[in-house]
Amino acid sequence: MTLAIEFVSPDAFSGYSFLEFGRIRPMHVNGVILAWLTMMYFGALFYMLPRLVGTPGMWSERLGVWTAVAWNLMFVGGIVALATGHNQGKEYGELIWPLDIAVLVIWCANIFNILMTVTIRTIRPLYVTVWWFIASPMWLAADYAIGNVVWNPGDIWGSRSGMLGGSLQDGMLNWWYAHNLFGLWLTPMLIALTYYIVPRITNTPLYSYSLSLVSFWGMAFFYTGVGDHHLLQTPTPAWLKTIATLSSISLMIPVFAFTINILGTMKGNWEKFFTNLPLRFTMTAFVFYFLVNVQGAFQAVQPFNKMTHFTNFVVAHAHLALLGGFTILGMGVIDYCVAQIYRRPLWSRTLSEWQYWLVTIGFTGFFSALTMAGFIQGQSWAAGVPEVNVLPLLHPWFIARAVFGAMIVLSGIVQMVNIYLTVRGDTASRLARGVERVAGRPLVAGGASTEPS
Amino acid sequence: MSDHPIDPGPAGPTGPPPLPSRWRRRPGERMVMTPLMSSVGAMIAFAAVVFIVVLLPVQTFNPKASKDWVPLSDAALAGRQVFLSNGCVYCHSGFSRPQDVRAGLYYLYPKVSLPGDYFGTDQTPNLLGTERTGPDLTNEGGFHPDDWQFAHFYNPRYVDPFSLMPSFRFLSDHEVNDLSAFVQERSGKVGLLRYAGTLYAKHVDLAAQAYKPAPTGFQGANRTTEQADEQGKTADVIGGNILPQPDVVNLNEADRSYWLANDPLPVTVANLLRGKEIFRERCVACHGSLGDGKGPAAKFMSPPPADFTDKDDQCCGADTSPGDFYYRVLRGFPGTAMENFGTRLSVDDIWRVVMFAKTIPNGTLKSGRVPTPQDYIQWTPQDDLKAYVKAHPIDEMAPFVERPAPTDPFLVEAERMFPGMAPSDSILVPNIGRIDLTSIAAGIRRIYFNLLNKAWSDAKARGESLPPESQKNVLPEPIETGS
Repeated sequence: MTLAIEFVSPDAFSGYSFLEFGRIRPMHVNGVILAWLTMMYFGALFYMLPRLVGTPGMWSERLGVWTAVAWNLMFVGGIVALATGHNQGKEYGELIWPLDIAVLVIWCANIFNILMTVTIRTIRPLYVTVWWFIASPMWLAADYAIGNVVWNPGDIWGSRSGMLGGSLQDGMLNWWYAHNLFGLWLTPMLIALTYYIVPRITNTPLYSYSLSLVSFWGMAFFYTGVGDHHLLQTPTPAWLKTIATLSSISLMIPVFAFTINILGTMKGNWEKFFTNLPLRFTMTAFVFYFLVNVQGAFQAVQPFNKMTHFTNFVVAHAHLALLGGFTILGMGVIDYCVAQIYRRPLWSRTLSEWQYWLVTIGFTGFFSALTMAGFIQGQSWAAGVPEVNVLPLLHPWFIARAVFGAMIVLSGIVQMVNIYLTVRGDTASRLARGVERVAGRPLVAGGASTEPS
Repeated sequence: MSDHPIDPGPAGPTGPPPLPSRWRRRPGERMVMTPLMSSVGAMIAFAAVVFIVVLLPVQTFNPKASKDWVPLSDAALAGRQVFLSNGCVYCHSGFSRPQDVRAGLYYLYPKVSLPGDYFGTDQTPNLLGTERTGPDLTNEGGFHPDDWQFAHFYNPRYVDPFSLMPSFRFLSDHEVNDLSAFVQERSGKVGLLRYAGTLYAKHVDLAAQAYKPAPTGFQGANRTTEQADEQGKTADVIGGNILPQPDVVNLNEADRSYWLANDPLPVTVANLLRGKEIFRERCVACHGSLGDGKGPAAKFMSPPPADFTDKDDQCCGADTSPGDFYYRVLRGFPGTAMENFGTRLSVDDIWRVVMFAKTIPNGTLKSGRVPTPQDYIQWTPQDDLKAYVKAHPIDEMAPFVERPAPTDPFLVEAERMFPGMAPSDSILVPNIGRIDLTSIAAGIRRIYFNLLNKAWSDAKARGESLPPESQKNVLPEPIETGS
């Protein structure tokens, strides 16, 4: 479990690296989704699930460690394959067929581990987080298998692999699959982790059980059908576009349910937002997550889509979810879990503050720059200016994006240093010495944990 | 989480459960989630939606091949793999939308993509894409000749200084030939027709000036720059007037209304400076930083880029009419790597850069040199040109414009390549003979059907599912490109 967390380092967001862009881009996308966020989520899952169902650990700790190792080996293979131009040529489904199979095998091992852990539980009712922990990996396994058309390997090392017969069919499947990477795995896990961390740190029961039901089933029904909103202007069936648009707007229902639930839980606990860093990371991610959903609902409406599609506005939207939402949450979760697992405070609170502000300011700037670039592109194209002529106008925004991107990378490095020093050093006595120096008397035993107990 | 608010409590004793003592205000509290519900139940919900949004459309949506659809030849299909494995689709989308056609001036997006354009198994994996950092490539086929493509793949800044595209010089010659074939063949019949027109025009341009064909792949990178002077100058005797032969081809490839046009803007330092700025931004990669036609991209190109330093050059130098220059910048030079800048420069800016080009023989391209009106070489038509225009009056185009638009797409393409040629005209080209619009159309038709038949036989040999043979013989619909 520790292994899983330690392997994770926030992925570099490459910013203005257009060198060999076509190959770096799938590495970046797959790296963020599969290497960084998925590893972080499974690490958190292995930490939280036993605590929620009342078992001493996962059903099989050894299986968990092996899947983590195998996953990383798989991903090393993936990076090598992508760097040498071996990909399936499908956006978000670039990994070649043998790696797809590896992903599915490891994934199913994890699902098995989770289900067995739930079976041997000692706490009978399942907490909200556990619903997601059960459903979400299963959804993703099905999504991944269908989306990569694993029953049709084709040319297993190269481009014509894992596809449907017709181009548009392939496109519809491609984007249904791609959006459900977020809809059925990354987003549900954000919800699950938030449902765990917020009540746990604030020591408050969850505001409403009914609302969490609405958010669970709403996600299940509405999120699965939004994928075609990537194809609103392609020559694909109009009824499918209508479903995608309606689903995207209907997503507001579970999102608002989740939002109200978390805000209700936070009621009266907002002072902890300022004092507790993992909570602050989580709530910041929560705000970005809420924004990305509202933005996404509008983006999936035709007239709005006409102006924003193909522009950097969409890139900004994607980063709002994956960087603003999931990554910032992930940083908080790592800070939280490491401190809890090692039973000692983080090496430096100051470094954590730096990490928080670097990533928050960095991301806000990054997002604004890309959104502005998107508006410029959309307006210019609508006025009949060809793409190439728009590029010089985007230049300042690309520079801004690179600068803010550097802040985000720096934030990741700060966290790596902080976590490394926490794991290596005896931070409890370091903190005690620090308190002693300031307060003039020793710290009471057991007060070293970052978490109010 | 024993402190969780929902606790279903121990199972009740046998017999009917006791009635609740008071009304439960939150019915959701009765809906207890069990492991079965959150695994099997969640998967059932998932499956229901998958049935609607995946299975149903994939099984029911099966459009027939559109009239415009063509299969890919083996080379183009191999090029498609190169396109995929280098991630080109992340910046170049693969469908054009109604609003693109409205917005796209001139040639950029002449048609909207239809479902039937995506027929066939050689079109997977899909190339729809989601971002346009670069332009959409659905309609790219035939807009640039191959030597432009090679220079562009070698270093995109050679032909477009604003481009953000990475250099693909790591590709082998073989791969880049395939890639170029894919780009040329991906735009359906209309694209093939454009490509055929370009190939024919290039054939004429090379023959008229006795240049060797351009190298393929990246071989051009190691070539010496060809000198841009009229090799093998021959003369064409038309109506008793003699004009050097390459000039005749040049005139026929430009709209007549520009033949004698002069620069409408006043020759001022401001206009010249703006022209210089644009020239240095856009033109030096091919035409050279001294305007001598020896830019880094010139090595890939045949016919070579124009040399502006030669004061006496009839075809391209300072004695050609500004209108002719203007038309070349606006619409490109058929068959050569000179592309149309009408999509990217304003009308005034084109006139300014043309004005500046007329000062280049006086060394105005040197850095720090401010072009002055004294550097400007005023153009006056020479006698043989005046005689030629007299024999081919510009007014002659009036009936040409008013007659009903030709329905033969090959004739339309021939007129697009030779917009200055009236139906009654003919020109003599060395090694080709005397050509007129009809024979040009026939030539384009031959090239078009060679390309189309090659693609069909390749696809048949690969065992792809093809539409009925009659689809092949449907001619491409002429597209009104406007002017």
